[in-house]
Amino acid sequence: MENKVTRQLYMVPYVLWIVLFVIAPILLVLYYSFFNIEGQLSLDNYQKFFTPVYLKMTLSSFWYAFLITAITLLVAYPTAYLLTKTKHKHLWLLLIIVPSWINLLLKAYAFLGIFGTFGAANQFLELIGIGTQQILFTDFSFIFVSVYIFIPFMILPIFNSLNQLNPTLLDAANDLGASKWMTFKRVIFPLTIDGVKSGCQVVFIPALSLFMLTRLIAGNRVITLGTAIEQHFLVTQDWGMGSTIAVFLIIFMFLIMFLTGTKKRGV
Amino acid sequence: MDRKITPVSKIFLVIIFFILYAPIFFLIFYSFNSGGNMNNFEGFTFDWYKELFQDTRLLIIVLNTLVVALLAALFSTIIGVMGALGIHAARRRQTKNTLLSINNVLIVSPDVIIGASFLVLFTMAGIKLGFYSVLLSHIAFCVPIVVLMVLPKLSEMSPTLLDAARDLGASRLDVITKVVLPYITPGIFAGFFMALTFSLDDFAVTFFVTGNGFSTLSVEIYSLARRGISLNINALSTLLFLFTLILVVIYYFINQRQQKPVLGGRK
Amino acid sequence: MANAIIEFKSVTKQYDNDPPVLDDVSFEIERGKFYTLLGPSGCGKTTILRLIAGFTEASDGEIYFNNKITNHVPANKRQVNTVFQDYALFPHLNVFENVAFGLRIKKMKNAEIEQKVKEALSFVNLEGYENREIREMSGGQRQRVAIARAIVNEPEVILLDEPLSALDLKLRTEMQYELRELQRRLGITFIFVTHDQEEALAMSDEIFVINKGKIQQSGTPTDIYDEPINRFVADFIGESNIVTGKMVQDQLVEMVGKRFECVDGGFQSNEPVEIVIRPEDLEITTVERGKLQVKVDSQLFRGVHYEISSYDQDGNEWLVHSTKKAVVGEEIGLYFDPEAIHVMRFNETEEEFDKRLEAYTDGSGHGK
Repeated sequence: MENKVTRQLYMVPYVLWIVLFVIAPILLVLYYSFFNIEGQLSLDNYQKFFTPVYLKMTLSSFWYAFLITAITLLVAYPTAYLLTKTKHKHLWLLLIIVPSWINLLLKAYAFLGIFGTFGAANQFLELIGIGTQQILFTDFSFIFVSVYIFIPFMILPIFNSLNQLNPTLLDAANDLGASKWMTFKRVIFPLTIDGVKSGCQVVFIPALSLFMLTRLIAGNRVITLGTAIEQHFLVTQDWGMGSTIAVFLIIFMFLIMFLTGTKKRGV
Repeated sequence: MDRKITPVSKIFLVIIFFILYAPIFFLIFYSFNSGGNMNNFEGFTFDWYKELFQDTRLLIIVLNTLVVALLAALFSTIIGVMGALGIHAARRRQTKNTLLSINNVLIVSPDVIIGASFLVLFTMAGIKLGFYSVLLSHIAFCVPIVVLMVLPKLSEMSPTLLDAARDLGASRLDVITKVVLPYITPGIFAGFFMALTFSLDDFAVTFFVTGNGFSTLSVEIYSLARRGISLNINALSTLLFLFTLILVVIYYFINQRQQKPVLGGRK
Repeated sequence: MANAIIEFKSVTKQYDNDPPVLDDVSFEIERGKFYTLLGPSGCGKTTILRLIAGFTEASDGEIYFNNKITNHVPANKRQVNTVFQDYALFPHLNVFENVAFGLRIKKMKNAEIEQKVKEALSFVNLEGYENREIREMSGGQRQRVAIARAIVNEPEVILLDEPLSALDLKLRTEMQYELRELQRRLGITFIFVTHDQEEALAMSDEIFVINKGKIQQSGTPTDIYDEPINRFVADFIGESNIVTGKMVQDQLVEMVGKRFECVDGGFQSNEPVEIVIRPEDLEITTVERGKLQVKVDSQLFRGVHYEISSYDQDGNEWLVHSTKKAVVGEEIGLYFDPEAIHVMRFNETEEEFDKRLEAYTDGSGHGK
């Protein structure tokens, strides 16, 4: 069977990739999570994870991720909806996507200037009489910048599902006597729920694990699971604890994927 | 459907676009500021650009980033295309879905997890952190993106096309080189391009796996930004923005070419 | 048979443990004729085509091509070309390159390729379209490119998988004439798959009626139309009135409680049978003159004729095609010739059917 051999032959690099870069890293992280800082095999790290310090951090990380996702959704859904009604909708969509292709760090850096003590935002506040505020290194700036960064990622899947919506369905709903709000509630939203789900997925999971924003914008006031992992791996060199948090993050990730999983996933 | 956009909606869209683009133009604007900060525009100058082009260290980093991105895109495209062909050829639905889920793991995984687990992997494998570890990581996280860009093209291809080629005397290799690859070329280009942008944009993974001697642009911007405002970065972001725009235009045209036959087919 | 180009011997095709798609099928295809495989979707007709083309392998049985077993010959090594339902034209190649594809694979010289492609395109009336892109061609033109791409390789057999199904009615009729004409000019074997009985009757030398993975009946279009072997064939080929009855003796059949003269024979006496009368063989007359008395239930105007649905006193439906109008609700008589009655035995195989037919038609002057 010449064809079977060739088929397997060209799968070799890809399968190698799966084994080396998908399966092996996860197993290694799992493996490391069982070693405490002295390099002994133990469950210390898992015990530590269930202490109030780490549980509180996990909870707050979830809380921030939830806030970021919710606000992003609130902004992105109407935007996507309005975009589908514009004339050159694909061009406008592209223009929404362009900022997401600008290096993330540069955008974060821009906000250092805008939100700085003498930055544009404070000049504006001064102008309308509120006066200079501490904006940088607050929860507000962290959430604002995160939402700013994630908006395009949320708009894209919602736009796609809105765009696939058959317009005659709306006519049908109208025809059957539904008001605009009813049409939205009963027809548009249920039919675009898959887009909303995948949008939330692509925002929530990264929002759990942001770390450069917490450092640059939130000035270490906010500690997410991501920050904690980075801290353990690159600063305190406690790979075991870092791996343990990573294991939990992976578990959360699969849970979220499972919860927001859509039936139509896959090609 | 209600095609009209109310003035309120228009204002909403304008605000969204303003928020998305303001930080970018803010950076560009102050890159010409002779004042040396992002608060007061004192006078117009090209000094920061001059300084940028005299900074050999930064130029080498830019070159590094480009080399890594191009090589990563190239290799990941090759591996990804082979993987997509393999996934597409899988007969059993379950095999296909399993491969796809594994493929998507690295796409949904937070960067921190990828970075941390690759750091563990390279350390275990004894690979010195530096150019090669960064390149390997970039190839690794670009592969699934290429697969996802190529697969839809493959599944949109009618299976009778392959039968037809066989019927006309083509060997299995002929079928791949003369029919399948030309057919999916737009998908391959899109995949390559996506891989390129993902590699250029990556910060978190690189941050974990880069050693002392090697740095990419994102990592460099991060360390500069942590030190505070420097208008060199603004000048750099102007150039990067222009570069991104060029890429966007190229991508737009690739997409247009991709859509043409589909539109033609509907006639 | 010396003239057979393709022969199937007890071929079965089965996927896993599902019921077989093709069940112990045997037939011969002669050189230079136009064959049609006719049947409802999922009946196995396309599977036969794919087996001949080599896209799939038989689970059991032998397939001969020019008297050589061809079961394991890969598709690219067979002297057969296919015209696909969706045409399967390569979208990245223009018309010329699509037609030239097979020749380029054979590494033919450029000059020769150019000449052959030109010839093939002129055969399908597409001169001057060489440099068009596929997306610029209409459905009918794509169809012709697909045919040109098949004939340019000079195959011994051309397989056509429902190639007309995507065309609109007018174009389809036009292409039926053209395909038939093309086959005559080329003189090679065409095997045409369709689910459209009119198409099959109009174009073929031979029709294979297929259902549930078995060949139900094969023969010329008139054979199959006039002498359907069973209820399925009678129903599938044209409209039919089918009632049950019994054969009192040869040339005498009983149905709806009455006895009628007919021309069929070779039955046991009082054997239960099914009786077919085509709607166009029924004539509307007065109740007294009619052989059957029915009540008109509904009526549709079909352009060339009225389609009248009526019921007899036993509740059997009788469909009548008549140029005369009937009145809904009225009692009418139906008249028919003895030749219009066609009697079918239950569960008769094609072989038995042919034998019986030969036995009683010899010298009896079965008229049609």
